[in-house]
Amino acid sequence: MGSAEQISQLTIDGLMVGALYAVIALGYTLVYGVLQLINFAHSEVFMLGAFGGLFASRALVPAGATPSGLTSAGLVLFGLVAGALAGAAAAYALERCAYRPLRRRGAPRLAYLISAIGASLFAFNLAGKEFGRQSIPVPDLFTNGTVVTVLGAEISTQSLVIACTALAMLLAVDHLVAGTRLGQSVRAVAQDAECAGLMGVDVQKVIVVTFVLGGLLAGAGGFLYAMTFNASYTMGFVPGIKAFTAAVLGGIGNVRGAVLGGLLLGLVESFGGYLFDASYKNVIAFTVLVLVLLVRPSGLLGTRLGRPA
Amino acid sequence: MTGSPRTPRPRTRRAGVLRPVAGVVAGLAMVGAALTACGGGDSNEAGTKEFLIGFQGPLSGENQQLGINAYNGVLTAVDLANRTGGLPFTLRIVASDDQGVPEQGPTAAQKLIDNPDVVAVVGPVFSAPTKASEPLYSQTGLLSVSPSATAPALTDLGFTSFYRVIAPDTVQGAGAAEYLAKVVKAKRVYSLDDRSEYGTGLSGAVERGLKQAGVAYTHDGINPTKDYTSQATKIMADGADAVYYSGYYSDFALLTKALRSKGYDGAILSGDGSNDDQYIRQAGAANAEGTLITCPCSDANTDPAATGFVSEYKKVNSGLKPGTYSGEAYDATNAIISVLRKLGTGASRESVLADFGSVDFPGVTKRIRFERNGDVQGSTVYVYQVKDGQRVVLGPVSSLVKP
Repeated sequence: MGSAEQISQLTIDGLMVGALYAVIALGYTLVYGVLQLINFAHSEVFMLGAFGGLFASRALVPAGATPSGLTSAGLVLFGLVAGALAGAAAAYALERCAYRPLRRRGAPRLAYLISAIGASLFAFNLAGKEFGRQSIPVPDLFTNGTVVTVLGAEISTQSLVIACTALAMLLAVDHLVAGTRLGQSVRAVAQDAECAGLMGVDVQKVIVVTFVLGGLLAGAGGFLYAMTFNASYTMGFVPGIKAFTAAVLGGIGNVRGAVLGGLLLGLVESFGGYLFDASYKNVIAFTVLVLVLLVRPSGLLGTRLGRPA
Repeated sequence: MTGSPRTPRPRTRRAGVLRPVAGVVAGLAMVGAALTACGGGDSNEAGTKEFLIGFQGPLSGENQQLGINAYNGVLTAVDLANRTGGLPFTLRIVASDDQGVPEQGPTAAQKLIDNPDVVAVVGPVFSAPTKASEPLYSQTGLLSVSPSATAPALTDLGFTSFYRVIAPDTVQGAGAAEYLAKVVKAKRVYSLDDRSEYGTGLSGAVERGLKQAGVAYTHDGINPTKDYTSQATKIMADGADAVYYSGYYSDFALLTKALRSKGYDGAILSGDGSNDDQYIRQAGAANAEGTLITCPCSDANTDPAATGFVSEYKKVNSGLKPGTYSGEAYDATNAIISVLRKLGTGASRESVLADFGSVDFPGVTKRIRFERNGDVQGSTVYVYQVKDGQRVVLGPVSSLVKP
């Protein structure tokens, strides 16, 4: 294996994981932008989305069969939609039960944090009880093989599916936030919730939309993640922390920043894990985070944020 | 306020600390469930002496299946002895969950030690918790017989109440190396371990065997993770034509997936920690196809000498087939029962421990006789292969290497 091939392979691997981090990081960053609140239960939204997609695709694919062609594409899409819906439902429930009552009563920020941790513990323990504590694989929805070779690096069907889906979702969110009326109200609430409210923006609706949007992304991301790494009740924790890191790295509250942070984190992990030792992957990733924050405390693309809702 | 990330960072860590605590809580709940489950089997007739046999192993967590396999083996032996053994006492099991991790080992052991009716323990199941728990067992003089802790060093650490009915990984490693050299005909082997007590012991043994056989190898270790992508790239770059993973099935499954998706075409092998059908399930049958597993254990389901055990096991465990370590746990329990039978109702922790070294009886997995250090005498290493989504026994290494 030549070194150019090596570099190309590691880049592709890094971008693949990075794209997943980015998809989850968007959920953190959107909610933070609007509420200036870290939604620590977001990792559980990701996990529940993965199970949603998993059970949906298991219901359609008979054991041992490997579909092909259009059926595969349809099944992947179906799994993604099911995952996204499960994620959105979880995020909505979370907002409804863990955050809204606190916001109504004007609770201090710390109360949200405790509420989030409580919701997270509740969700993953319940999942462990209901879905079992073993890892569960997503059934094969397509024949995984090498599709194309870029500079000697082989790209598998699975990587391609992940990359395309993640890219499509990231573009869609970027367009939604930057170019639609709904996005405009999200941005308005992020800049100054009180003013936005006075101007006629339904702040409560914007908050729900933000949570649901984050849930859709995390749910679909969870399904993509489970296709490669299997689903388990504790699966949310590490990717959740990584995505949070990516959001901070890119500048929390900034949508494009989250994408940049996710991809960068993926690349650093991929190269770091190869050059040093796979076990040092996290050490290297977090060293980079600290270094970036020393130079740019608000993250790569971070800017001042407005008044929270 | 700017989006300063300094405030949230400690919060991240706090969430991280809380999670293991929740795991413990969940684990305790599981033990509770297990206790109630086996509590139903005891006959509490008035006046009948009752002895408790402890069980320590992972009953929750990522690798719980191996613990459950062993527990069901213990259950089978105890149930059979109570029903048909003609014993002057009744037996009951007390299970203690260590989740297969060393941190939980001492707590799980202490729970059994503190119960004065426990006369002997089957377990611990995994090597790392064994190393962490044995000092406590030795101190108290409570016999513990592991069905499956294969880390070689365990019998050299001066533990005075530790026995195991499975051969140490020195035996398995030598067998695996011989198989790699003569049957797989590997030119270069990538020996990867999970950095656990068990993994490093096995990888060291495999590498010593490879060195003797003149096969080149690369040693590497990786803590269990979900993402084996960069590890797979590293293996591909190394040019090894065989990978031997020393670790447990849930990690080996993900490693296999990563290697297959990179198109690795060399041989993929692992040891007894991966010898469970969960491996095939989690890796996906297509990915697992053709991979090889070594184990110093035969498969009770296909061994004609073990048919009695298999049918008894199925009867006790509502139709389940014995899994990896079920037979060993059954043998370990029967070894303890044979000593209790001899000692009768007057048996104590001291007398059970004192008499255990001279146990000699035909078990379902092997003849159970011990060396002075607590290792079981002799043992054959078997090779398994995944064929059509099923684990099948190819045979013992000694006969497979014959031309």
